[in-house]
Amino acid sequence: MLAYIVRRILMTVPVMTLVAIIVFMLLHLSPGDPAAIMAGDNATTDQIAAIRAKLGFDQPLWKQFALWCFALIQGDLGNSLFWGDPVIVLIGQRAEPTISLALTTISFAVVVAVSLGVVAAANPGTWIDRSVMGFAVMGFSLPVFVVGYILIFVFAIDLRWLPVQGYTRISEGIGPWLHNLVLPSLALGMAYVALIARIARAAMLEVLSEDYIRTGKAKGVAARPLLLRHALKNAAVPIVTVIGIGVALLIGGVVITETVFNIPGVGRLVVDAISRRDYPIVQGVIMIFAGIYVLVNLLVDLSYTLFDPRIRY
Amino acid sequence: MTKIARRTILKSSAAAMAAMAAPSLAMAQARPSAARTIRAVFHGDVPSYDPIWTTANMSAYHGGMVYDTLFGIDSKGDAKPQMVNRYDYDAGSMTWTFELRPGLKWHDGTDVTTADVIPSIKRWAVRDGGGQHMMQRVKDIAAKDEKTFTISLKERYGLVLDVLAKTTTPVGFMMRKKEAETDPMQKIETVVGSGPFTLNLAETRPGTQYVYDRNPNYVPRNEAPSGISGGKVVKVDRVVFVNMPDSQTAVAALQAGEIDFYEIPQADFMPQLEADRNIKIQVLNEVGLVGQIRPNFLHPPFDNVKCRQALLYCVKQSDHMRATFGTSKYAKDTPSFFGMGTPMSNDANIGWYTGGQNFAKSKALLAEAGYKGEEVLLMQATNIPYMSNAAQLLAQELRQGGFNVRVESMDWSNVVQRRANKAPPAQGGWNIFITSSGGTAIGHPILLAAHAATGDKAWFGWPSDEKHEQLRAQWAVGETLADRQRIAREIQENAWNFVPQVYYGQWIQPAAMRTNLQGLLSVAEIIPWWNVEKV
Repeated sequence: MLAYIVRRILMTVPVMTLVAIIVFMLLHLSPGDPAAIMAGDNATTDQIAAIRAKLGFDQPLWKQFALWCFALIQGDLGNSLFWGDPVIVLIGQRAEPTISLALTTISFAVVVAVSLGVVAAANPGTWIDRSVMGFAVMGFSLPVFVVGYILIFVFAIDLRWLPVQGYTRISEGIGPWLHNLVLPSLALGMAYVALIARIARAAMLEVLSEDYIRTGKAKGVAARPLLLRHALKNAAVPIVTVIGIGVALLIGGVVITETVFNIPGVGRLVVDAISRRDYPIVQGVIMIFAGIYVLVNLLVDLSYTLFDPRIRY
Repeated sequence: MTKIARRTILKSSAAAMAAMAAPSLAMAQARPSAARTIRAVFHGDVPSYDPIWTTANMSAYHGGMVYDTLFGIDSKGDAKPQMVNRYDYDAGSMTWTFELRPGLKWHDGTDVTTADVIPSIKRWAVRDGGGQHMMQRVKDIAAKDEKTFTISLKERYGLVLDVLAKTTTPVGFMMRKKEAETDPMQKIETVVGSGPFTLNLAETRPGTQYVYDRNPNYVPRNEAPSGISGGKVVKVDRVVFVNMPDSQTAVAALQAGEIDFYEIPQADFMPQLEADRNIKIQVLNEVGLVGQIRPNFLHPPFDNVKCRQALLYCVKQSDHMRATFGTSKYAKDTPSFFGMGTPMSNDANIGWYTGGQNFAKSKALLAEAGYKGEEVLLMQATNIPYMSNAAQLLAQELRQGGFNVRVESMDWSNVVQRRANKAPPAQGGWNIFITSSGGTAIGHPILLAAHAATGDKAWFGWPSDEKHEQLRAQWAVGETLADRQRIAREIQENAWNFVPQVYYGQWIQPAAMRTNLQGLLSVAEIIPWWNVEKV
């Protein structure tokens, strides 16, 4: 197991190197000049050229890349071109809202989706099953921003139960923190509920047709322990896999959700940075996200051993 | 092995939560009440704390909070002393003497002196079109003592006060000597001004929210506020600039009372906002914005004046305004080179407009020019609706007028990069791009960089016209308003002949706010937050 973990960690080096090269090249070869954006609309060509020189963008690309890599190896993600603040500090300031949103969304999605999947699988072909699957299709079909605006209209504008936008730090209280996260988590969670519920249903149906379940039934094991203790545990591997993929995919949804609900998270930071061509921020966020993907994949792989003792590393 | 009881875990967790909450609870207690705090959403994010370094309006908004200016434009458009207490000039108007107001202090508590003000003027003038124009005529700026300084001119120049007071960006904000002596091409990161608000860095989150607290040591002028001049009396404890990129969210937040002010509600939302009894609509910038179509003078076909004149007959401004603003009462045509509603607006040489859109005339002019169907590359900024709409419509109009148009779609960031490229369109250059400028700036022949026709040194499009430059120089030394208006007519007469740019309309952007927000002042280009209160 330890050897496997070490091997997986070592494998991240070429992956991260490749990510670094692709990200740097894509950003620097794509059109759009941060100097021109920074200077503003009335700036002259000479003023923009002077800013480019100050930022080092008049240097050859290989030199810029080498400097960035050198700093990266030392753990320095650089400074924002616009703010001058270290990228790591800016990401740190924005991390809490994004992590909070991701955690509440995935928690909500897992609890609701696994329950729905199990209920649907336990009642195959019935109206319950069809309702759950219908809900899943709807969850997939509706874009996050549409769900978001509907939720805002109903629960924030009309009923006034929840705020339209913003984020309250967890240090200001669990209540206010959750109050701000309910609507965005619901909006973002819909697609994940749909995805996980479908997989959970399929996995449960497969397990429920296994001989040991039939044996259990024959021996008189009650329906609930049979479903939750025996079937669900054995159906967990595909469910955990899809949850892992969901966590990775969550990042894309977080960007839109943070914009719709005005949550000051990493998603907003990177979108703003892309539109301004603030290269250090975009590069830094992508490198961190790539690292998170690798870590989540590793954790998902390791979790298989918990659910299926036959799996060994 | 010690057994950890469930109760112990709960107690520890509660203690940990309390400890985590403590700093923010303390902060929350220090925060002003909601009734003394204004939360405002503007058209974008503050891209830099240095309002001299960038021409971005959001930085000027920030600057208006933190910094002060020597002069300010009042509601009638006249330059009035602001940081200056008294000023005088000699008989020939060649030496101007300025005395600073007593009691002016930087946010760090030190006095504002001429040692700060002189390098501030010099640094700002390097970055500002109006400042550069003035400095070409300035012999020297010198301190007489800590509170008095002089500007000596090489030649007569009637715009000294107007340039120092202007609200077009970059505004002439004064800074401490330490910051003012920074290379003008280098951004200033330290925010220490002498204005009515201070930037609260502890609660500011770049890209998210900018918190400005009332400066308790600010001494306002003993006059009623007027435009950007007069007494800057702050009536709230805090103003928060909230960066909210989604328009729908901003409107919803305004309706729910989570924000107090929204600068740029789209035309689509106006009926919804007008129907809400808790919301009011107010026009803060009466002149609004003018949409500009910039042809590139360096390459065919627009290196030929006949082809540029053909543009005039292709564009129907009312169609452009309808495409973006519908039947909004806030949009109109602008046949004057100086925009509508500015002191220099006039009707010289607008036959092309009164005759209406005329594709036959455009084709005839192209034939006269010997146009052989060379491709016209039109850059379309797809992420800014009014520019994107204008580009699509313009392409259609130009095709009907005889041009061979290719639209290249990109985001605004790409446009601002590519428009600086002087190469032919086939080698990364361009023929036309679309933008907009504040109506007040359009109305001033000197202050808008786009009004210069100095060829290679001019703004993007690089128009060149000697007569235009001579007339601008004459305008700058005009003695009276009537003189300047007469020269403005001549400028316009000439401009609509050589066509440095074409307009696609003028629009006013009304702001939406909660009805309890009172006292907002109408100022072009900047939104002042003094004199404002929540009642």
